[in-house]
Amino acid sequence: MNKQLAMVIDSSACIDCKACTLACKVENNVPEGKWRNWVKRSEPDFNKPDWMVHSASFHFQPGGCMHCEVPTCVQACPTGATYKDEKDGAVKVDPKLCIGCGSCIPACPYGARYRHPTRNIVDKCDYCEKRRARGELPACVVTCPTKARVFGDISDPKSDAALLLKKNQSVRVINKESDTKPNMYYLSATAPLNWPVKARMPDPIQLWKMAGPLIWGIVGLNAIGVLIMLGKQILMNDKAPETDESHEETRQS
Amino acid sequence: MTQTQIHRHTRLSIFMHWFNAGCWIFLLLTGLGLIQNDDLQPFTSWPTILRIVFGGGANLLLAHEIVGVTWAGGFFLYGIVRLKSDVLPFFREIFNVNIHRDFLWLVAKGIQMTLGYRALGVIAEKFGFSPVIPDQGFYNIGQKIFAVPAVFGGIVIVASGITMILSQIGMASTELVQWAILVHFITVGLVFAGLLIHVFMASIAAGEQPAFISMFTGSVPEDYARHHHKLWLDEVKKS
Repeated sequence: MNKQLAMVIDSSACIDCKACTLACKVENNVPEGKWRNWVKRSEPDFNKPDWMVHSASFHFQPGGCMHCEVPTCVQACPTGATYKDEKDGAVKVDPKLCIGCGSCIPACPYGARYRHPTRNIVDKCDYCEKRRARGELPACVVTCPTKARVFGDISDPKSDAALLLKKNQSVRVINKESDTKPNMYYLSATAPLNWPVKARMPDPIQLWKMAGPLIWGIVGLNAIGVLIMLGKQILMNDKAPETDESHEETRQS
Repeated sequence: MTQTQIHRHTRLSIFMHWFNAGCWIFLLLTGLGLIQNDDLQPFTSWPTILRIVFGGGANLLLAHEIVGVTWAGGFFLYGIVRLKSDVLPFFREIFNVNIHRDFLWLVAKGIQMTLGYRALGVIAEKFGFSPVIPDQGFYNIGQKIFAVPAVFGGIVIVASGITMILSQIGMASTELVQWAILVHFITVGLVFAGLLIHVFMASIAAGEQPAFISMFTGSVPEDYARHHHKLWLDEVKKS
């Protein structure tokens, strides 16, 4: 069975210290104003008179690229520069094939992608690929003081992530209209839940999906035209009529 | 039996023709290989094959861009150097259209190429037009019609391609680049559809072999010129 790298998160352990987002920025040289990961928060509704009665509290939810099972970003990329690596199940960006067209950015319901202002390509979480090559865990995972983020191969039943998933109930945060089957699991329950947006294919990509068959159809029609002419040439002994020739002769003189 | 040869193409224009053909084949095949997306690519294994041949999508993209820029640059230089001698006369010729004569040529030649002379005779009689295929100039109207998408399509292909390269150096907005990719694909598709006809007419079609050979030698036999480009031959003879 193929590997599936995933993150299993106990969001109730998160204290919103944001060390994970900082560690990520330092590790991956994420430019100013851009983030590869985040901590979302839900606040109690203080307008409700009984907010204290319901033991309402803040809840913090760490996240990042969810390396989805059905990645809409991959569906939006024309060249395969964004692809789901079958070897480890991670969604990756080939930095030398990506031309930074940004089609994938609105296609992600989680806003996990941004266009890098100086590298001019799309960038996002790669589970700290360089650290993993050295045998280390992603920066956000090792940094977390409460160990809210657990990372591993969930198709390996002995991995920490798989064990956690097995022992606990878990939920995934999705937009109902765009269920991309994210590989980010939250233990028991989490909040907020209403923030992922509907995946949006950019207009040119949508139009391409419609115009593609039309263009191929025109090419095909012309190819058929050529085949008809070729068939006629092979099968028919087609000579210009005599009268025609003599007519041309007279015109020449 | 040797007959008089009429000069038709300069060495440089012959070189540009085959330079164009070589670049087109390479760019078409690599460009098709760059489209790797289940919803957009009908030939799903082609991108995979090309990526193996080139050692990855990044190399494939780079090769496509280098040849693309070389192609555009080559034509840009040609356009400057031969503006007066080749380019302007070419445009004058392709927009030199005689609606009545050329429309009749399109209809008559179209029937003859697909159904033959006999059918042309029958149809011409039925609809009351002359079954004689009208004389044509340096280019026939079919060539003139294709010249428009070939040239202006080429300009659109280059402009959209440059937009994509500009994106890589941070000088184009993502929205503009997304449209450029679509325009690049559609334009190439339409010009390629016309190219199929061009290749057939110029290399396979009966009676066109002298035209094909002239793309190497630069000249055509007088008989061929009389038969296919009589108005041009008359002008050559006059001067």
